[in-house]
This record gives sequence, structure tokens and C-alpha cells, in this order.
Amino acid sequence: MAEQTGKKFNWHIVVFLAPAVLVYTAVMIFPLFNTLRLALYTETENIRQFVGLDNFRTLFGDPRWSESFWNALANNFWFFFIHMLVQNPIGILLAAILSHPRLRFAGFYRTAIFIPTILSFVIVGFAWKLILSPIWGIAPSLLDAVGLKSLFAPWLGREEYALTTLALISVWQFVGIPMMLIYAALLSIPEEMLEAGEIDGITGASAFWKIKLPLILPSIGIISILTFVGNFNAFDLIYAAQGALAGPDFATDILGTYLYRTFFGFQLQLGDPHMGSTIATAMFAIILIGVCIYLFGIQTRLRRYQF
Amino acid sequence: MTALKLTDVCKTFGTTEVLKNISLEVEDGEFVVFVGPSGCGKSTLLRVIAGLEDATSGAVEIAGDRVNNVAPAKRGIAMVFQSYALYPHLNVRDNMALALKQANESNSTIDERVTEASRMLSLDDYLTRRPAELSGGQRQRVAIGRAVVRHPKLFLFDEPLSNLDAALRMNTRMEIASLHRSLETSMVYVTHDQTEAMTLADKIVVLRDGRVEQIGAPMELYNNPANKFVAGFLGAPSMNFINAAGAVELGIRPENLNLSESGQLQGQVIHVEKLGGDTNIVVTLTTGETVTCRLFGQHDHRVGEQVTLGFDMNRAYLFDASGERIEPS
Ligand SMILES: Nc1ncnc2c1ncn2[C@@H]1O[C@H](COP(=O)(O)OP(=O)(O)OP(=O)(O)O)[C@@H](O)[C@H]1O
Ligand SMILES: [Mg+2]
Repeated sequence: MAEQTGKKFNWHIVVFLAPAVLVYTAVMIFPLFNTLRLALYTETENIRQFVGLDNFRTLFGDPRWSESFWNALANNFWFFFIHMLVQNPIGILLAAILSHPRLRFAGFYRTAIFIPTILSFVIVGFAWKLILSPIWGIAPSLLDAVGLKSLFAPWLGREEYALTTLALISVWQFVGIPMMLIYAALLSIPEEMLEAGEIDGITGASAFWKIKLPLILPSIGIISILTFVGNFNAFDLIYAAQGALAGPDFATDILGTYLYRTFFGFQLQLGDPHMGSTIATAMFAIILIGVCIYLFGIQTRLRRYQF
Repeated sequence: MTALKLTDVCKTFGTTEVLKNISLEVEDGEFVVFVGPSGCGKSTLLRVIAGLEDATSGAVEIAGDRVNNVAPAKRGIAMVFQSYALYPHLNVRDNMALALKQANESNSTIDERVTEASRMLSLDDYLTRRPAELSGGQRQRVAIGRAVVRHPKLFLFDEPLSNLDAALRMNTRMEIASLHRSLETSMVYVTHDQTEAMTLADKIVVLRDGRVEQIGAPMELYNNPANKFVAGFLGAPSMNFINAAGAVELGIRPENLNLSESGQLQGQVIHVEKLGGDTNIVVTLTTGETVTCRLFGQHDHRVGEQVTLGFDMNRAYLFDASGERIEPS
């Protein structure tokens, strides 16, 4: 009897897995590998030719390509850096405040802070463009009303501020996500443990640093990697606010917008799916490396606690 | 000196009164057990003493000082929680040391106290382990160690044994008793288990619905209960109550019932528990009441058997309709 079942092939496993595998292959795995494959070809006079890694040589070796690429990559790191430095600490702070048992209207604040997350990038980009516009924006008049008009600058229009401004707009939009994740993690810390801390004299800020923070580190790790992946795939906000040229003078160009211009073409530039795929492959590699560093270098060192 | 004095302590949550005019004293070095059924307010009372809840009214004094407005950490108390509430990210040593570090004690003091506590609780082999790597009993000892290192004037325990299995519970009970003997510090211990209360306490406080029913030494309460509730709560199997003349009820401890041909009560055996040392037989009387009779040693009785039970009237208790004890005149 046992032998029989041992030999029998479990068809139902195949049957149940098949739909998911087929759909996932069709919409994720196949396009991904096809993109990787496209990066190895080029097209001359409507004939596709295999060129090996030539496209990568062009991307990293030809200054016309590589300068834009490094510019976009550096900008992308700055974009990520601002998120890590501003969005995540503020998210944690908001969550810590929200989880305070004596805070009133916590539900209201939670919802209000989370709402921008569900707005479309187009709306957010356009709304902030209007707010910050030197001509019709309300930012200059608001600053004027409190006598700080001298502080105003056309933030989105100046090369030195534009990228940071966009990063901060994105922070404004997405700060609700780290807040929610950390808030949930904070709520899962048992009340008795915090009370034990209270009896040990660990209250307020020291309760946060010595008890709560170590227990939410795994959530902070997850948020960091989500931020990393999100930022290196970002495109929409920049496109909505600054257009595909990521002005002024490519100051806000990140990998996503660079890929878009290359792949689909823009204004005088013709689209080149092969170079576009090359950039997409490079982006894929960057994100893969980042995720691997996190998974093998950081996550294995973070302990999760069962309460 | 009194280690703890409560005067007319009341606690309400919204409109529900949980504690009603609780007054009691704990002498220096005394082991006091709060006992009562689930939901009677034992934990709430302990939390009021600890400062985790504020008393709605009344005074809490620890070692002579009124502490109603003093933070928990400054009250000179230490508390052991039912769930242990250890810090999962710290090892055993750091769990015990955290409060001392927070209080800016010197490293040598911290080392000395942690070493002392770990020796006392046999935790030496586990100092570098995290709570997740310990058994329930070991975690329990760490929780006690965390209280011991603070050298409190008063220990508070909230059902510390309820997460342990029966054998471990008995061991830990003995450890707590010997800890109390060696530290000579006052302890307040909450439980709903009357055996724990009887075996550990110098003094028992019986609570019901947020009121103190009776305070006294274990044998005092056992032999001289003030009312039917206390009489029924202490002792296992619990006291038998039989309707006597009028509204008066007769209370007889199971060990004071015996089998005798000339007994006052007739009935049929419905259940027999053979415990080896004792035999408990449950009997339904002809009047309809069910009583338990505890016989010393091993006896052969079968379910369905007709028996006659007798008792000594001098060892019976009388209770009036409201449950108050009628003292023999
Ligand atoms: N924060 C609170 N808000 C409202 N009611 C509460 C609160 N805490 C406790 N109570 C109520 O107070 C009563 C006493 O609770 P408490 O936890 O002190 O009981 P207990 O004697 O410790 O019971 P147990 O033996 O089950 O632990 C219960 O009826 C409970 O519902
Ligand atoms: Mg309780």
C-alpha cells in the first residue's frame, strides 16, 4: 500500500499549480527574459542582429550614453537617500506618536496621512507643480503672508533644488506606508512588556529606543528594501511633474525617465528598444544586487521575535 | 513597620466599579496572597499598588510614604507578570540589568546584583541566552530575577505560576517560598488558586467583586470563615452546604463527613475519585443535595451504592440566608 502511493505521481499538484505558473510566466517571466534578450541585439536597416554585449559597451563606454546613465544613477541614489533620510524616520516618528495610547483622533490622523498614498502620481505631480509655481502657485503668496517671501525660490525650476523637491513631494505622498507598517509593528508589542519596562523605569523616549525600536527593526528593514525597489523603479512622478526630459537640464533625470526616453524616444530622439532594454537590464541588475545585499547581508542579522 | 498600607482604595473604569473601598496592610517581611475568583479585581488591585493604574480614590502607602502620585519605578516595588514580559531582544543578563542601567547604577553594582540573583535562581548557565531559548520555568525564574536585582521594598506577583505545568508549579512554589525566606522582603502575590494561597501565605486576603471578604492567616480563614463565600472558596474539595432548618445553611468540610451506620444523612454514591492517599466520594442525598466526602486512605465504593454519612455538629458551620456566618453561641 505504502509502495503504491510512493510511486503514484501526484497529478493534482500540477493541476493546481498550473494556472498560477502559466499566468505568471506569460506576464512576468517571459517579458523579463525577452527584455534581457533584446539587450543583446541591435537593429540596422530593419534587420535585427545579435551583437552580444556590445550594447552594454556602448552604454558604459560611449560618453554620449554613459554620461546620461551615470547622471541618472547618481540622481536616483540621491532620490533614494532623501527617502531613507526623510520619509522613513518621519514615518517611524508618526507611528510612534500614533501608537501613544492617550492620543485623541488617532484614526483621523492615520487616515489623513495615508490618503496621498492612494492618489495618482499625475494628480500629485500636477498639484505640487501648481502649488510651487512662481506665477500662480499658492506657495509664494503663503510665504508672503507670513513675511517670508524672501525664502521662496522656483524650487522645481532650479537645477540645484529640483530633484530634492521632487523627492520631498514623493516623501509627502508615501510617508503613510512606513507609518502604517511601523504602526502595525508597534501595536503588536505586548502591553505587559511595556508595563514591565515602566516598572523598570523605562518610559517615554527610552522605552522607544531600548524596547520598541529593537523590536521593530525587522519592519524597518522591510521598509528600506521596499523604498529601494520603489525608488529605483520610480518614473511617474518625475514624468508628471517635469516631463520626459526630466528638466531642468536633466537635473531630475532618474533611471526610469532615462529608460523611457531611450526606449520610446522623445521629441527629436528616436526610440531604440535595444538600448532601452540594455538600460532596463542594468536597472534590473542594480535592484537585484541591492535586494541580495539586503537579503543575505542584513535580513539574516535581524532577529524576529515571537511574543 | 508596614510595607504597604491601602486605605479605602477605589478604582472605576468608566462607570464600572472594579475596586470598592479596599483597606489592608502588609507588614514588613510578610507574604500576603490576594485570592478570589476570576474577574474579582485582583490584578487591578496589584496594578494600582504598582502604579500602572491610578486609584480613583483612596491612599496607597508604601513603606510609610504615600505614593499615589509617584511613578512605578520610584515606588520601590518590583513586579513579576503572568506572561513573564521579558525583553525578547536582550539576553538573560541584560534583561536583569536593564532597570539598573536605566537607574544609572555603577557597573560593579550591576554585576554584583545580577550575579547574586542568578546564583539564587540557578540561572548561571543561561546568562547569555535570549528568552526565546529558555523553557517556561527558566523564563519564570528570569522574570523573578529581574525583580530581585532591583532590591525592592515590596515584590508584586501576578499569577506567576499559571503558565507552568503542575509539577513545575509545585517546584516553583517552593522556590518562591524559599526566596521569600532568604530575602525577608514583603511580597504580595495574586492567584485564583486556593492551594497556592494556602501553602504560600502568611496572610490571605479573599476578594470578591472588588471587595475584601476576609483577611487572616490561612488556618484562621479555613477554620473560622466569616461567610459562606470564604468557606466555600478555601479548601479542596470545597465545603458542602446543606439546607438545615429554615433559611439556615449547614456547612461541612468533606473531611468532616464520615461513613457511619448511625449517620444523619442518607444518599447514593454518584462518583468515586481514588487518589491513593485519599478517596473522595460524591453522594446525592435523599434531600437532593450533592455532597463530597473525603476519606483518608483507600476505600472500595461503587457508583450506585447506598451510603449513610455522619458528621459532628461541633465541626459544622452555620450560615444565614445572606451567607453570613452564625457564630455558635
Ligand atoms: N482597563 C479596563 N477597563 C475596563 N474594565 C476593566 C479594565 N481592566 C479590568 N477591568 C475589569 O475589572 C474587573 C477585574 O479585572 P481583573 O483583571 O483585576 O480581574 P482578576 O481578578 O485579575 O481576574 P483573573 O483571575 O481572571 O486574572 C473585570 O471585570 C474586568 O473586566
Ligand atoms: Mg488577573
